[in-house]
Amino acid sequence: MRSLLAAQRARWQRWLNRRIPPAREVRLDQRRIFIIPTRQGLGFLLLIALLLIGAINYQNNLAYFLAFWLLSLFLVAILNTYRSLSGLVLRHLPSVPVFVGEQACLPLELIAERRSYQALALGWPPAQLSGADVEQGGNTRVELFLPAAKRGWLKPGRLRVESRFPLGLFVAWSWVDLDQQVLVYPAPMAGAIPLADHGAQDDDEGVRIIPAGVDDYQGLRTYQPGDNKRRLHWKAYSRGQGLLVKEFAGLAGRDVWLDFASASGGVEQRLSRLTHAVLTLHQQGHAFGMRLPGVELAPSDSASHRDACLRALALYGLPT
Amino acid sequence: MSGPALIPRISLTWLLAAQALVIIPHLLHVPTWLIPLWLVCGGWRIQIFRQRADYPRGWVKALLLVGVTAGVLLSHGTVVGLDAGVTLLLATFVLKLLEMKRQRDAQVLIYMGFFVVVTAYLFEDSLLSFAYSLLPISCLTAALIGLQQSRFNQRPWATWRLAAGLLLQALPLMLLLFVFFPRIGPLWSMPTPDVARTGLAESMSPADVAELSRSSELAFRATFDGPIPAKERLYWRALTLDDFDGRRWSQSSINRRANVFEPPWQKQGEVLDYQILMQPTGQPWLFALDVAEPAADVGRLQVDFRVQSAVPVEQAQLYRLQSWPEAVRQPQLPDVLRRLNLRLPSGFDPRTRAWAAELRQQYPDDQALVLALLQHFNREPFHYTLRPPVLGQHSNDEFLFATRRGFCAHYAGAMVVVLRAAGIPARVVAGYQGGEVNQTGNYLLVHQFDAHAWVEYWRPGKGWQSVDPTFEVAPERIEFGLEEALADEGSFLEGDLLAGARLRNIPLLNQLRLAWDELNYNWQRWVLGYQGEQQLRWLQSWLGTVDWQRLGLTLVAAVALLLMVLATWLLKPWQARPPAQQRYLQQVERLLAHLGVQRQTGEGARRFSQRAQVAIPAQAAVIKAFFQEYERQVFAGEQVDELALRAACQRLRRALPWWQRWR
Repeated sequence: MRSLLAAQRARWQRWLNRRIPPAREVRLDQRRIFIIPTRQGLGFLLLIALLLIGAINYQNNLAYFLAFWLLSLFLVAILNTYRSLSGLVLRHLPSVPVFVGEQACLPLELIAERRSYQALALGWPPAQLSGADVEQGGNTRVELFLPAAKRGWLKPGRLRVESRFPLGLFVAWSWVDLDQQVLVYPAPMAGAIPLADHGAQDDDEGVRIIPAGVDDYQGLRTYQPGDNKRRLHWKAYSRGQGLLVKEFAGLAGRDVWLDFASASGGVEQRLSRLTHAVLTLHQQGHAFGMRLPGVELAPSDSASHRDACLRALALYGLPT
Repeated sequence: MSGPALIPRISLTWLLAAQALVIIPHLLHVPTWLIPLWLVCGGWRIQIFRQRADYPRGWVKALLLVGVTAGVLLSHGTVVGLDAGVTLLLATFVLKLLEMKRQRDAQVLIYMGFFVVVTAYLFEDSLLSFAYSLLPISCLTAALIGLQQSRFNQRPWATWRLAAGLLLQALPLMLLLFVFFPRIGPLWSMPTPDVARTGLAESMSPADVAELSRSSELAFRATFDGPIPAKERLYWRALTLDDFDGRRWSQSSINRRANVFEPPWQKQGEVLDYQILMQPTGQPWLFALDVAEPAADVGRLQVDFRVQSAVPVEQAQLYRLQSWPEAVRQPQLPDVLRRLNLRLPSGFDPRTRAWAAELRQQYPDDQALVLALLQHFNREPFHYTLRPPVLGQHSNDEFLFATRRGFCAHYAGAMVVVLRAAGIPARVVAGYQGGEVNQTGNYLLVHQFDAHAWVEYWRPGKGWQSVDPTFEVAPERIEFGLEEALADEGSFLEGDLLAGARLRNIPLLNQLRLAWDELNYNWQRWVLGYQGEQQLRWLQSWLGTVDWQRLGLTLVAAVALLLMVLATWLLKPWQARPPAQQRYLQQVERLLAHLGVQRQTGEGARRFSQRAQVAIPAQAAVIKAFFQEYERQVFAGEQVDELALRAACQRLRRALPWWQRWR
């Protein structure tokens, strides 16, 4: 039974993929919009039936009038509800990585070219959909949130876009795949910094984290994107000499290496400790390298290096 | 907090507005305590919305419910029946406000509102009240829309405009359904509105007729196929009164019973074809000129030549009749009827009887006696007035020999008593006389003040003969109407200062009044009267023959067509067309997908093209050609040449098996 259901679901997904292929930008049109009456819509039909019975029994033409008017309204609502979704363009927006336990933000852009859209609802059921309005000719950034429970890529799957506007008698919806994903880093876990053991030739030096000392100061060079902002020479900047970065020599000789092997605990715990270490070291302005089984990232103190480390930690051991 | 389940401000605003609008037309027949009830519940609900009050507790709600039920019982004496039912419905409608927490509750309340609108139609279906009902309908629709809107939306009028727009979009479809939907008879009988109505009743004393004469309400309208006959020929029969108890005239039991038998009569002379739109009377009889031959679904001719429908007329009724004014009515009178039409109560009017015996001796011939009697009314100082002196026990004696002041009911009643006392079968006919011609609409308006009573007596071999003693006294009443007859007295419609008929002397206002009446007449004839036979006739004139299958097909086709037109107007597909290159690229993507090459996300057009060329070598040239053309147009910004793209696209399509080509 369950496998039958799963097979059915797989077939549905395949069909959806054919019908609404994944794309970074999707315009909702008749191939992509589905529409059925809501429960309120069925209740409305019941109301019409009651009115019609009243009209017949009382032979009252005005009651017929209203019954038919509501019935026509029901039919017209099909077109209007469809219209309240059709032509809407949804565009993928890049997301910002989060840590496990945080709310992942999956942004997207709604673009209304020819008319405004009201009371749109977007989200991933069973989570509650969030509402959005878009003015004609405008675009709205919508941020959808999902709890980040596991490290790695959070792929929420197909996004449900629906509208019950204007009368709530019908619901028009579509399942779009905007290729939305968020990178979820492991949750940082405080603890001893798992440094690599360099052949124990310099035991005390190895475990000691040396704060950037003045004596190691070498000179200034011009800023390049990715340089640690803590080392910007603000005084020079305020004098109008442009962005300069202080260079230190002391760290170059004995690189700090974070090592998966020297972290304690299970895989996830080690990753969490490493995450914490990466964040701490970067914040303190240290250059560091990181070794994971099969991955080695050369020492650096840049923000992009930090991100690369976190990314490697997030994706470690996961199928790509 | 579950946001969308709560009731947005706009929806609440329009719901409250709709409630007020829905209740107003009902105020004529529901108790006034509904107004404070609505004010309290509405105010409470607003405070709840502003979070200054809480929803009522269970016992408060129970108390309110008991109070309302008791109120209905006190006001109507019952909780069943249409009036009490409507009051109960309205009260529930109002009370439900305090239970409205979620969207679903509001939805139910709005649906209830539509139901209440329909109950108002049962009491009042004039053009004006229909036009008024558009207000609550649009407000209810706006409330329905408001439920879907964001809670931060602050523009109630925009929502109302949207609602009005939707209703307008639905209008053509509604008219179509209205015209084509077959009207079937009632499925079961329903309680009818309990409305006080003015009009003729089964029995009549002069005071009743005087009462009617003061009412300017409309009784019916008539349209003739030919020219409208002269007023003195327009004696509209409603019923005959053949039983006299000394004070009142009423229908005898034989007469009252429906469908005893149809009296024999012979068609003779000219025929009148006309259509009557009758205001509801709550009585079964229909108004007709003598002698009418009703169609089976209209009614049947009764033993006294009145036309009676199967059920009381509770709503305005439209019917067609043919009449033969010169027909011979019942040349042979059965004994039962003869005895009935000679019967007089004993112990009343001794002087009248004695005088009748005198007349009989003087005029052995019936015809001569009737003429003499009419001449008596004409010659003696009888006076036509709506303010007659009060009469005592022997009312006819006093009237004929002492006061000599009265109106149609006095003259007709006295004359029948004299004729019966003289041995001539006679009875009082009650109905309406004359009417007001609406020149522009070419139809006749008959008001309650046109109510009239006249006499018919029976001559052997010739049948029933109609005579009108009032004509002898006040010919202007017959020739010009009541207003003329009462010109000196000034008692026309006294006590009804606002009556429209009073405007007759101001030409401009009178024209307006008649134009308004014509509008209402057409409304009733073409909208309210669009039932049964009327519908059939109208459909026949448009479609030729009418069979339900054909009708159904026409309806479905027309609805589909209308929806298509509407869809085109709403969606404006010509604006939605993406640029030609995009369209063809999508087509080609789809075709290639069928051939097994799916474009990956983020894959560039060129890479995709190369991959496809490798995967489908047979079509490599075509694919290459298409993408070259595509790139040239998109990236080099060259003039769009749809034809080249289309040609490439078509060549690719031909490579597919035929059943996949157009998917």
